Formats: sequence, C-alpha cells, structure tokens
Amino acid sequence: MSHVWLPCGDYHQTYEEDQGWWQTTFIKTKMVLLLLVVFVGIPQFLDDYWISVGTMVGYTAMGALGVQLLIGYAGLITLGHAAFIAVGAYTSTLMVLQVPWPQFMIDWGLAYPVSILAAAVTAGIWSVLFGLPSAKVKGFYLILTTMAAQFITVDFILTQYVSQIGGRGQAFSLPPGTIKIGPWIIDTETEVYYTMAVLITLMVIVLANLLRSKAGRAWVAIRDNDIAAEALGINIVWYKLLAFFVAGAMAGVAGAFWVSNTAALSPEHFPWFWSLWLVGVILIGGVGSIHGAVFGSIFMVVVMELLQMAVIPLSIYYPKLLMDFAFIKDMAFGLAICAFLIYEPNGLAYRWWQIKNYFNLWPFSY
Amino acid sequence: MSGVNMEISKDLTIPKLFLSQCRKYGDGKVAMREKEFGIWRPYTWKDYYENVKYLSLGMMELGLEPGDKVSMIGDNRPEGLWAEMAALCAGGVAVWLFQDCMMDEVKYIIDHSDTKFFVGEGQEEVDKALSIKDECPKLAKVIWDDPKGMRNYHQDLLVSMKEVQRIGKELDEREPGLFEKTIENGHGDDICLLFYTSGTTSLPKGALLSHWNMLTMGRNLMSVDPCYDTDDFVSYLPFAWIGEQMMSISCGLQIGYTLNFPEEPETAQENIREIGPHVMFAPPRLYEGLTRQVQVKYIDATWIKRKIYETGTRIGYKVANLKFEKQAVPFYLTILNWIGYALMQKKLKDHLGMSRIRHAYTGGAAMGPDHFRFFHALGVNLKQIYGQTEIAGISVVHRDGDVKFDTVGTPIPETEVDITEDGEILSKSPSVFLGYYKNEEATRETLVDGWLHSGDKGFIDEDGHLVVFDRSKDVMTLSDGRPFSPQYLETRLKFSPYISEAWVIGHERDYIAAVMCIDYSVVGKWADEKKLNYTSYHELSQKDQVCDLVQAQIEEANKDLPDPAKIRKFVNLYKVFDADDEELTRTSKLRRAFVEKRYEDIVNALYADTDTVHMDTTITYEDGREQRIKTDLQVRRIDV
Repeated sequence: MSHVWLPCGDYHQTYEEDQGWWQTTFIKTKMVLLLLVVFVGIPQFLDDYWISVGTMVGYTAMGALGVQLLIGYAGLITLGHAAFIAVGAYTSTLMVLQVPWPQFMIDWGLAYPVSILAAAVTAGIWSVLFGLPSAKVKGFYLILTTMAAQFITVDFILTQYVSQIGGRGQAFSLPPGTIKIGPWIIDTETEVYYTMAVLITLMVIVLANLLRSKAGRAWVAIRDNDIAAEALGINIVWYKLLAFFVAGAMAGVAGAFWVSNTAALSPEHFPWFWSLWLVGVILIGGVGSIHGAVFGSIFMVVVMELLQMAVIPLSIYYPKLLMDFAFIKDMAFGLAICAFLIYEPNGLAYRWWQIKNYFNLWPFSY
Repeated sequence: MSGVNMEISKDLTIPKLFLSQCRKYGDGKVAMREKEFGIWRPYTWKDYYENVKYLSLGMMELGLEPGDKVSMIGDNRPEGLWAEMAALCAGGVAVWLFQDCMMDEVKYIIDHSDTKFFVGEGQEEVDKALSIKDECPKLAKVIWDDPKGMRNYHQDLLVSMKEVQRIGKELDEREPGLFEKTIENGHGDDICLLFYTSGTTSLPKGALLSHWNMLTMGRNLMSVDPCYDTDDFVSYLPFAWIGEQMMSISCGLQIGYTLNFPEEPETAQENIREIGPHVMFAPPRLYEGLTRQVQVKYIDATWIKRKIYETGTRIGYKVANLKFEKQAVPFYLTILNWIGYALMQKKLKDHLGMSRIRHAYTGGAAMGPDHFRFFHALGVNLKQIYGQTEIAGISVVHRDGDVKFDTVGTPIPETEVDITEDGEILSKSPSVFLGYYKNEEATRETLVDGWLHSGDKGFIDEDGHLVVFDRSKDVMTLSDGRPFSPQYLETRLKFSPYISEAWVIGHERDYIAAVMCIDYSVVGKWADEKKLNYTSYHELSQKDQVCDLVQAQIEEANKDLPDPAKIRKFVNLYKVFDADDEELTRTSKLRRAFVEKRYEDIVNALYADTDTVHMDTTITYEDGREQRIKTDLQVRRIDV
C-alpha cells in the first residue's frame, strides 16, 4: 500500500513506484510551490529580520530531525542532543581556524565544506560512543545516559579543555572571510539562509530516503517492539548504533552550520536546555514524522518571536518583561508542551494529516 | 486500436485468437495483473503465452485428449485463467465450479461432466477433489497451484501446476511446434465451455457452448459498446458465472484489455478503487451494496459535507431524470451539474472506484429504479443486461442515452427476440448454445428451431425495449383486482439504508402490508446515538423509536406510489431473512411461498384488527444452538 492517498485508477506495478516520492500531480505542484517559497519567496521578499527567523527555524529543524530519528523512529529517548551539535560546531571551527590548509583549499572555498563533512563524521562517532549504553539499557535509564553525554561533552570536555585551544579564553571567533563555500563568502543574512535551506533540504532527503530503506524499517520495528524485531532477525544493537550515528552526524552538520550564522562559538550556545527544547519541538510537531520536526520548529521559533514582539510594546510600562524575557520564553515553552500534550497529543503533524484526510474523504468522513 | 476489427469466421477458435493476440502484443503490453504483497504484479502477453503453453503441453503429456473435460475451482487468479486457456488450447472443454459449491454439487458436476482433470487453487479445493475421487472414476489428475498446506499430500493423483509446466516444457523441447499445431486443429464449432446452470428446482444442467458462440457474443456486445485495448477490467466475480467469462474471455481476449485480479475476495472493493476499471459487469447486489455504503457514510458525515452532498445529488437527480425522459437539459442545469461534479460527484465516484467507468452493466436479477437513478445521478452510465448461460451470457442491453430502468434494453446485433403467445421470451442468435450435456430432453424443450426458450415471461414495450418479469409470478392483484408488483415495492423499500430486507404481501387481499427486517448495524448505530438500550436484534426491532423510524422510511417510499400500491400496515420482524433458514435462495431471492407459511401468524395479524402479534418460536443458530423467542411484535398502521 502506498503511503500516500492515491486517486482512483492510480496504481503501482513495482515497489519502486510504490515507494516513490511525489506520486500525484497534486503533490508535485504542492512540493514545487514549497521549494519556491523556501528558495525564492522567503529570501527575496522578506526583510533581514524575518530571514534570520527563517534561519533559526532551519537550525532548529536540523537538530530536531536527529532527535526525531532517535525518539520518533528508533524509540531511543535522548536528552543530550545539544552535545553532538556542539561537537559538530567545535570540529568545524577548529578545522577552519587551526588546520594549515593549503592555499588552493582556501582560494577555492573548500575548507569550510570539508569541515562540515568532518563535523558530521566526528559528531556521528561521538554519538555512537554515547549510544553504546543503549545496547543494555532502555527507557528512563537511556535518558540518563544521554544526559551524561551532555554534561561530559559540553560542561566538561568542551568548556574545560577544547575552549582553551589557542588560548583565547571561552569563546572562539571566526574572522570575516573564513566561512567560504566555493566562491561565496557567507556573511549576510540571505547567504546564511541559503546555506541553511540547502543543508536542510539535503538532510530531509537523506533522512526520508533512509526511512524507506531497510534501515528505516528496522528502526521502526525496534521502536514498536524491540523483542519482536530481534526475533525477526534484526540486529538491534547495530541498528540502534546506526540511528545514533545518523542522528549524531546530522547534529554535526547543524553545529557546523551554526558557526556560519554566529561567526563566534562558545559552550554556552549548547546548554542542556537546548537538548530539552529539541525534544519539545518534536512533541509539539508530532513524534514519528519528518513533517513533525519541521512543523515543530516553525511553531516554536515563530511563536517565540511573536511573543517577543508582543512583549516589546508592553516593556515601556513593565521594563522587567523584556529584561526577563528568557524566563518568559521558558514559561511559554512549558505551557506550550502542557497544552499540546493535553489537547493535541499527536502534534501538529497529526493535525496536518487530519486536514488532508478531511479533503481526501470528501464528501464523507470515512 | 478501437472497436472490433477481428473477423470472426467459423474457423476461429478462442485459442487461435489467443495465439494471434500474444503474437501481436508480445512483451510490450500487460495482459493481466494480480495484486500481491501490496503491488499490482504485471504479466505481459508473453508471460501469459508461456504459462499457458507449457501448462497446456503438460496436460497433453499427462493424457488430455481433445474433447476431455477439465474442471476448475478457485478464486479469480491468473493461474485459474491460464488453466482454462491451457485446457482450451489442448482441445479440451472447460468446466468451472463455484467456489462455495456444496460437496454433493461438486461431486455431481465432476461425475456428470466426465471430468478428467481437476484444477484446484489450493488445499481446500484439493481436499474436495480427494473426498469425491472414489465416486468419480473418470477423474485422472488433480492439479493444484498454491503450495500452502500441501506439504504432506503425496497421493499419486496430485500434481502441482509447476510440475505440469515442467513436463510441458520437456515435451516442447522434444516436439517443438506441437502447441501451435494442436491449436490449428481446432474449429469454431468445437465445444469450449460446459457451463452448469444453477438448479434451484432441479439438478444443474450443463450447457454446451462453442468457440463460435462465445466469440460472436463478445463481438456483438462490443459493437454496441466498444472497448479499447488500453482499458482496465477487474475480474473478481466467480469464473463460474457466465458474465465473468463473457467479460474476461469473450470480450477481453478480442480487444486485449488488461484483466486485473484482486488480492483476496475480501479486498475486491478496495482493489477496484485502485484500478478504476473502464468497464464493469456485476449483479445488482453489488450496486445495492455501494448505494447503502454511500447512504450510511452520508448519515455519519459532518453538517457541511452533508449539505454539499445533498445539493450535489439533487442537481444530479434532476439532470438524470431529464435524461431518462429524453428531454433537453437546460443550460443553467448543465452549469450547476458541472459545479456539482467538481464539488462532490468527482470525489464520490473516486471513492466508489468509478472515476474512469464508461459502461457499468448489471444483470442476473432485477434492480430497483431508485438504485438505477442513484448511479445515473452520479453520472455513472449504468445499464441493464439480459441474457442467460444458454446464449453465452447476453442477448439484450440498454443503449447509451436510451436507458429505461424498468426495461432491460434492446437486442444486440445478430440477435432476434420474440415473445410467444403466453408471454415467454424467445431469442435467436449465433451465440445460442448447442444443447445440454447428456440431457436430450431438456435440450429439445429449450431449443426449438434455433429459438432459445428462456422460461422467463416478458413483453416488448412501445420503444422496442424488452421488459422481463421475474421467473416467479411478478405481478399480484389485490382482492378488488388492482395489480401491484411486490418486487418493485421491495426494491424501493430496500433503498433505505435502515432496511435490509422487505417482504410485501397483499395478493388477493384488501390492502398491501409489509414485513420489514431492519439493518442491524445501521439501525444499531442510529440507536446508540439516540442512547437507546437494546441487547439483541429482536429487542431493537420492536423499540417504539425504531418502529417510528421504519414507518418514516415506508411513508417516504409511499409518497410517489399510486394509491393501491401504498403500504398500509407493517411489522418489524424479529430476525433477518436468511438463506440458512431457507427463507432466501442462495442468490438472495425471497422464497415467498415458504415465508408465507412460516410466518402465517404475522400475515394473519397484518390483516386483522390488532396492534400486536404474539410470537413463540425457536430459532436455530449456525452453530446448532437453539433459542426460544417469545415476543410481541408491534403491528403498525400507516395512514395514507
């Protein structure tokens, strides 16, 4: 059975067709429009402020995709994802700053792209390392081991040792012109946005492809019932570690991208709260769906921005509101999670599915 | 390619046609698909050719001689069709059995037809064959296809289809060209099918049909309604039904459209929706089922969806009624209908799997006018077919744009229809069968000077359309001599989703009364929403609110009936009519004489001045348990 709703008279003779993307004209049109909005509409017609909001959405979604893979598809609950983003960010930065690149690599703008790949691999391996306990423990205990990843990596190794490299104290800063991809120097909001758009598109393609492959089916089987999955001959330790690797690699790319956005780097960019935030994003967006990771990111980032805009006029009368906005943000995050768990426990992706069904089942309800 | 461009001569046989179609399409076109493991696995004409060839040669090697009978039983699968085609190619005669045939029926047919080879789908069919093999000495081989459960079967009689094909392949290597040569020897007047007509009154009779019969029938039907080789057809009704042979073999082979076989009989409905066939032919029960499904979904839909559906159907009915009356559709209605199509009908047809349908046929029994109108209001070109096994399936059909729902249409080309003095329908065409197998007497009675005596009563109306009455007496008269048609009233009542069966009485009585069976699931759901408590069917059926509901349905049906035909009284029965209780035939027709005797008390109460009727009976469940029912049934009076 195809995974999308097909009109009458549209059937498949091969599994390739059955698992294909963009199966109907309607879906094709919809997706082309979406790409036009992402690659033309937002960067060309919105101002820098909203483009930067778009960039934040993309960065959040990059992290959320990895969390979605671990929690939503492989059933491995993680609360340490920010650690792997941090590993990616530091790998990329250190490579750009410290490696004695041959001149042609710098001229051709290859240093940063290569560092993104290296960040992916390093973060992936680092993630596998902290995924090892998943062979033995699950559920609450796994949450604790992933939290250990956060504290060991960010609070201990990065803060105490890695940040000291080069003797600049806590923060690294990247000189202008070092973030260069091919002929393009990434230093405006629009350029950062395009980098994000390309990377997130690639990541969604990779993840969606993995999910319709043998590995994806194995992950879902492990999520639904690991004992049954093992009885079916799935090597569950291997596939769990593979999930950690892929999620870690995507976190690494996210981290390497983050550097291009800030041109500076500090362990404070990757607090434990960011790991929790990413889990909140997929809870709100919908667990077990790529749409969910994206919807959740849009919702969280845009809602927080709107909240801030609402607070600014009030701050004339209550200046403390703006000063303590970080706390208001945390409170809003908590409220949003509570509200979603009560009123829309399946997340925004489920609501999206219901909207599609409403029209697919037209003129009836089932 | 369009229409029929094949010259059918007396020399042409189904296998010769098969061979030329395989040569024409080869590897480039899909001949059939079967849904397996979630996808529609295609078989090209070349695959079809090879499978049939080796199977046919294997059968020859195992001793199949021209004229030998090959019986087949199983679901609709490519393998079933290959076996039939293989038997025909070897010069054999195909006999199909219904999947749900009783043991003694299987035994009778296998024995009576002198079956030599029995082709069964799997273990279930093989078991049937093994249990009767001692009583059918002519049975030489049992061929099976599905290996599930067959591991411990080692009887010499058994051989797998794969093994037969392997033997055939060996024979082909030894004697190349034997297959084609055997086919060349065939002649159009050879017998190709031996079809047993269901015998409700007597033992089944085996009708002999020749290649010429089958091919001319297909050609004549398609000269009325052309098909194309790009069409899709879903084959899911039993091959033992002549209608399915007619579509899959007679028409399918001549045109070369693609046959699609569903995954399982249970998934047929869903599979039809996926394929979206261009042509379909089914008994009225299927269309009635679709209508009911739509009505129930409509009841459960949200307000806005209901309103849109109501508006859309209202426009559709208006347009359909104008077309039935052959009046021009005004321009504003055309526009409205187009909007209705975009808003509602398009999607609804999609759900029913009828988006691409060009011709939908119904035949085998009468269909109510409401159902007919329902499909035409949706823009589905539903037409009635009349025919019987003895004329290779079809002799009369509605023409496009000339559909009258109380008739079955006009004869297809090369077919003459006549009515005898006492109203019996006679027909004559090249497709009239050769006679009954081993039953001279029945042949003499049915075939007189080339005219086929159908046993059906009917007349030809002012437009030249044939009107067929039911085999049982269709028209009854009230005591004052005014006629009415109980079957017509029953189909009208059954159009309501709340009513599953209805029985209309009134022959030689003062007024018409009805015994109604509610639809347990639909009324049950309705009652749940109304917070009515009930524990069983009979309790639900006697609830005041349910009686009111049924009364409203009858009043609705009464509205456009002439005065004498209006139903004055009714009773909700405490159970549904069931074939296991002999109240219905296996094809779901009501056995009036039987129920009249069985429910004598109810009938008397309907014509007496009483408000209740006391019932004290015992009903037997399928598992043998018995339950005594003591209940009072409400007798409702309807003011007209």
